[in-house]
Amino acid sequence: MTGGPPLTCESQTIGPEPAATLQGQAVFHLTGSRSGDELESIEGGTFRPALLAGYRDLSRLRYDYPVVLVESAADGAFVRSLSSIVDDVLQEVAPPGMEGERLRRQVLRLECELRSLVRDGAKGMLSDLWEKAAASLAVDGGESVEQILSHTGARLSVDGEVIDCDHEVPSRLVAHAWRTTQQQKARRFHDEVNRLLQALSDILRAAFIHSEGGRRPESLQAGVGDLHRDDFDFDVMSRLLGKSAPADELPVARRERIEWAIDVLKRQRFFEPPAGTSLVQAAELPYEYRFSSCAETMTAFGERLSELVEFVKAMSMAALEADGRYLEAKHDPFFDAFGEHALTLEDLALFPDYLVCIDAGDTDAAESAVVTEVLSSDLPVKVLVQTEDVLEESSLGAGHFGFGMRSMQLASTVMGLHDVFILQTTSSNLYQLRGQLLTGLEYAGPALFSIFSGSASPASDLPPYLTSAAAMESRAFVAFTYDPAAGPDLASRFSLEDNPQPEFDWPIEDLEYADEALQRVKEQVAFTIVDFIVCDRRYARHFARIPRSQWNENMIPVDEWLSLDPSDVGQRVPHVNVVDEHNVLHRLIVDAKLMQAARRCREIWHGLQELGGIHNSHAERLLAREKAAWEEEKQRELESLRAEAAATAVVEGAVGAPQVTVAGEGAPGPELAVEEAAEEAPSDDPWIETKRCSTCNECTLINDRMFAYDENKQAYFKDLDAGTFREIVEAAEVCQVAVIHPGKPRNPNEPGLEELIERAKPFQ
Amino acid sequence: MTIPVTQCLMRFDEEHHSLEDYQGGVQRWCNGCGDNAILTAVQRLCRDEGLSPERMVFVSGIGCSSRFPHYMSTYGFHGIHGRAFPIAEGVKMARPDLHVFVNTGDGDCCSIGAAHWIHAIRYNMNLTVLLHDNFVYGLTKKQASPTSPKGLKSNTTPRGADLEALNPISVTLGVQNASFVAQAVDWIPEVLYDIVAAAYRHKGFSFVRIIQRCPEFLPKMLEPWLQDPSKTLLLTHENGVQLSPDMARIYKNQREHDPLDIDRAREIASSDDVIPVGILYRNPDIPCYEDLRGSGQPRPAERIRAGLEAELDAFTVWPDDSTAKHAAA
Repeated sequence: MTGGPPLTCESQTIGPEPAATLQGQAVFHLTGSRSGDELESIEGGTFRPALLAGYRDLSRLRYDYPVVLVESAADGAFVRSLSSIVDDVLQEVAPPGMEGERLRRQVLRLECELRSLVRDGAKGMLSDLWEKAAASLAVDGGESVEQILSHTGARLSVDGEVIDCDHEVPSRLVAHAWRTTQQQKARRFHDEVNRLLQALSDILRAAFIHSEGGRRPESLQAGVGDLHRDDFDFDVMSRLLGKSAPADELPVARRERIEWAIDVLKRQRFFEPPAGTSLVQAAELPYEYRFSSCAETMTAFGERLSELVEFVKAMSMAALEADGRYLEAKHDPFFDAFGEHALTLEDLALFPDYLVCIDAGDTDAAESAVVTEVLSSDLPVKVLVQTEDVLEESSLGAGHFGFGMRSMQLASTVMGLHDVFILQTTSSNLYQLRGQLLTGLEYAGPALFSIFSGSASPASDLPPYLTSAAAMESRAFVAFTYDPAAGPDLASRFSLEDNPQPEFDWPIEDLEYADEALQRVKEQVAFTIVDFIVCDRRYARHFARIPRSQWNENMIPVDEWLSLDPSDVGQRVPHVNVVDEHNVLHRLIVDAKLMQAARRCREIWHGLQELGGIHNSHAERLLAREKAAWEEEKQRELESLRAEAAATAVVEGAVGAPQVTVAGEGAPGPELAVEEAAEEAPSDDPWIETKRCSTCNECTLINDRMFAYDENKQAYFKDLDAGTFREIVEAAEVCQVAVIHPGKPRNPNEPGLEELIERAKPFQ
Repeated sequence: MTIPVTQCLMRFDEEHHSLEDYQGGVQRWCNGCGDNAILTAVQRLCRDEGLSPERMVFVSGIGCSSRFPHYMSTYGFHGIHGRAFPIAEGVKMARPDLHVFVNTGDGDCCSIGAAHWIHAIRYNMNLTVLLHDNFVYGLTKKQASPTSPKGLKSNTTPRGADLEALNPISVTLGVQNASFVAQAVDWIPEVLYDIVAAAYRHKGFSFVRIIQRCPEFLPKMLEPWLQDPSKTLLLTHENGVQLSPDMARIYKNQREHDPLDIDRAREIASSDDVIPVGILYRNPDIPCYEDLRGSGQPRPAERIRAGLEAELDAFTVWPDDSTAKHAAA
């Protein structure tokens, strides 16, 4: 589906002499200066890459946006695309085949309408916008259409706020996902704290029941229901119990410890108390965890640290008490010295994560340093760095480019910290990476989310979704994840797989257009960073439009030009395919300065590819070395076989046919024969197949000094001299699983041996 | 990766147990009884898994096998005939943190307790169930049980049992939500241990039928299988039982069986000529009842009392003069 007129080629007119054309193009490429009329400036034009010609009207396309920030989803999906929700509704309400076709069309029209509403700035819950879109369509379709569409709206399985791909998407989506993970964390936290509180309360209650106070008549009376209260004499009962019950008062130190732990656990302010509990006082409101700078976050963490340490201490004490494993001699010294140094990452992970949202444009060197410091400190901090402009100009001025350097540098630096989760991507891809987003938010340590929103590019006509998608497609803003929890090595942790065609320098796509004779032409073109930059008016001076009449063989696509060795470039100049607002195809040549930046971008991409295991130079070098060694070895083997064959031929010629002996068929050597004979020689000693003993006790009952159980409670001969051959034979006879083998008598003078040897025979 | 400080302390102070730590009273089973082998296998499991005795509960019904809890130095509940399952389910529901085992016999489980057995399978609560099947009521001196083979002469069937024996494995495999079904024999202790260990590790209702000898009342009944290893079919699989070389040498009749294949499991279970030994079926994806129904929240005495009061009040007939007052309350 396309949103504009069909893509056509510019018509050809007669141009100047070829030599002059080439000269002018080469001069522009090398100097950036236009000489002559055949090189047109594109400043003031509205060109976009030819590959984006089909995306004029996004509201007519089904894609990931707008999305719905799902409230309390049962399946844990915190965000859903509008299209996926509509698909669910259709699956439920529209019968297959022609019967449901009308309904399907109406609902898809409604989806389109809803998308247009959101694009034009409508905000609100999905259910409300659905009704609004249905009412809007009813103007043309009549009341029945509105009824049908409202009815389908009632079948929506989820609801939540609808947001489009705009400058707020990164912060709102990340914050929403963060809230979802914090709610899950809060549930786990409250479950654990309630469990501990219950266990501690049970200890105190049990202690009271056993105490003198618990045995008082009024306490006993309170333990019996109203109905039978008069049937008992609680004074007598109290006296009786007082005589028989052991004095089991809770030691004072233990009582104080338990009461202190209960108090600390109940006073916590880290999470909001669960629903249904009494309202907290204003002074006890839970802490705030969302900040707009790392410095504020550090300050807040420092202020709460002592309370956090105290809470972890109380939890540990409570857990030991609940398990009955608190040993004062061992644990008191530990808890007396308990401080922040005892906290582990897992302890911190129990508490809420701090969320810091930063705009990369406002991030100076000092703030970047604080971000790095926070992320290196093992604190449970999740930092969102939102980049609005990836083509910002370098502070050095015109002619120098700093494309995406600020945010890219931060992510690369942080990756060196080893234990920080990193997700770098663009808004357009954020929905697809929602799983990784959750993984990062659930990660026990710090995490960095570097996201390009594509929304504030001051000199582009593209909508934010297309800008951010083009940034990722062109490698201007590369998507990657670094997950320290995924494994110990880079291969497990680092992934580039979310980029389009990560194995190539640039993604290759099909471009179709109609030529001058209105015939369909299809060619494959690469989408390079130059295609991305051409959308930005700030860099228009680096391009010159070449009329169709002056296209020539020396104009080659940017990717081809970049793949040439600089010494082979000659007179060739790079060009990009673009379209104007009428979708007419044009070619722009690019100056050398911009191509230099494009080359640098490609080299940075190569570096990332190596990290991601694609075209890894170390691996390729090792492979080549191993291959050479293998070939060399095989060659040697071949030569050796040839030499042997030649020698055999000489011997055969002298002696006659060779004698062939197959391994294993020949008689064993004398040493081997002796070994085998030794192995097979039967022992005269009695023995037990201990592993098969079924612990039936029969043998141990006959003589428990001779027969005993090992650590697995299976029988073995403990002392052969502790019994007689008769006892061994009797044990073998009663053994249920026949695992006792009597061997031969050790005492030749034992009476009745002849008979016993005969009885032992079946068990040998 | 780090671990929370509480776990550090717990591990620092971790207790190691020997087999004797799990031994309760002295067994009063007959000499040569197969129950001894089952007891040893369970005690070995407890030691090898490092299970704390105070975190384990053995629940039984009535019969020779049901004396099992007396011989474990853990918590135990020697229940009433046929009711081991509902008791165990109650324990598990109230204390999901405990390891709950059920020891039941062929009479206790397959006769008087059959209704509880069927529904216990369906609930799929996380219980390790050991069916001690000796084919006879031994405690009451030899009466026919549901698993007694046709023709068995006993005090209740002096002319021989009229009916074909019930196959507990086939029955279990036929019930909805069966999630772990295995069969073991007491005379191959190594495999018995492996199967009991696998049952313990499975989350869900792990049903292990253990065929055992009764040397007192049926001393010759299993003789053919004891004498001839080829009459025992060992089911092996990378996700099931793996035989040691020693066992593989003795028990050569082996078959590779994937425990996920329920159709094949049913077919094997119905074999008449050989005794299949191994894990017939295992499906870890079936949800446990306690997970579906349990709130996961602690239930203090106040909450239990309030819940009971609310339930009972719903059926209370109040005196006329107090109706308004209670309704208002």
